[in-house]
Amino acid sequence: MRQADWKDRLLLKLGRLRAVRVTGHSMRPTLKDGDVVLVSRSTRLTVGDIVLADHPFKHVTVVKRVTAVTGDRYELRGDDASESSDSRTFGTLSLKDIHGKVVCRLDGAG
Amino acid sequence: MFNNFSMTELEVAEAHCDGPCGVYDPAQARIEAESVLQLTKKILDLKMPDGGDQKASAAYQNTLTRFIVIKEERAELAKHHLLVLWTDYFKPQHLETYPELHDLFWKSAKLCSAVKQEISLEHAQELMDNIKRVHEIFWETKGKDVAWFTAS
Repeated sequence: MRQADWKDRLLLKLGRLRAVRVTGHSMRPTLKDGDVVLVSRSTRLTVGDIVLADHPFKHVTVVKRVTAVTGDRYELRGDDASESSDSRTFGTLSLKDIHGKVVCRLDGAG
Repeated sequence: MFNNFSMTELEVAEAHCDGPCGVYDPAQARIEAESVLQLTKKILDLKMPDGGDQKASAAYQNTLTRFIVIKEERAELAKHHLLVLWTDYFKPQHLETYPELHDLFWKSAKLCSAVKQEISLEHAQELMDNIKRVHEIFWETKGKDVAWFTAS
């Protein structure tokens, strides 16, 4: 995961990107607990993208990787399968449940 | 200059684990339901001793009570294992392929209650038949050909 450059920080300032703090370990080693990531509203997704999505059964937002796309259904998995609750338990998601794509990590946030 | 927000104000995205081991098998429910079926047969076959023999009567009561207690426990365990499969393993897209899924689990859970309340071979066998169907659907979703078998 690349780190935010000045353009990302400008887009954040302009409200074109959202800053989101990751909690938990399911995206290790890519993302660690406490990392801050910037999320674009882009919904043009491909396998390999990391996305921000609504959990289908809980009122929480999750961060996971797209591992398969079948029609309009997206399968999400954590990078660390042993630490992840993902499509293996909550099934696939539709695009309306996906907020956007994680574009970079914002180091030194706070 | 661009990071003028505090960490506490940030929205949070969870990368958590509910602790799923991902290991499921309808065999757990089958074993318990099979016990219920066998215990129901044993209760129906148990001969009541002739009157007057207090020792034989106590032994009969003891055996019958044990059969009933174990049948209660096993029926509850069968229900538990079915509910775990229903709520944790099966997902919305499985319903598209197997529209009978909810009804199958709902009726199976009710049968688990029925076999506790009754001494019913019919309902105990019906529960086994339903679990056999769960077994077939479950292994089809896994893409594996696993034969149905019973221990008894």
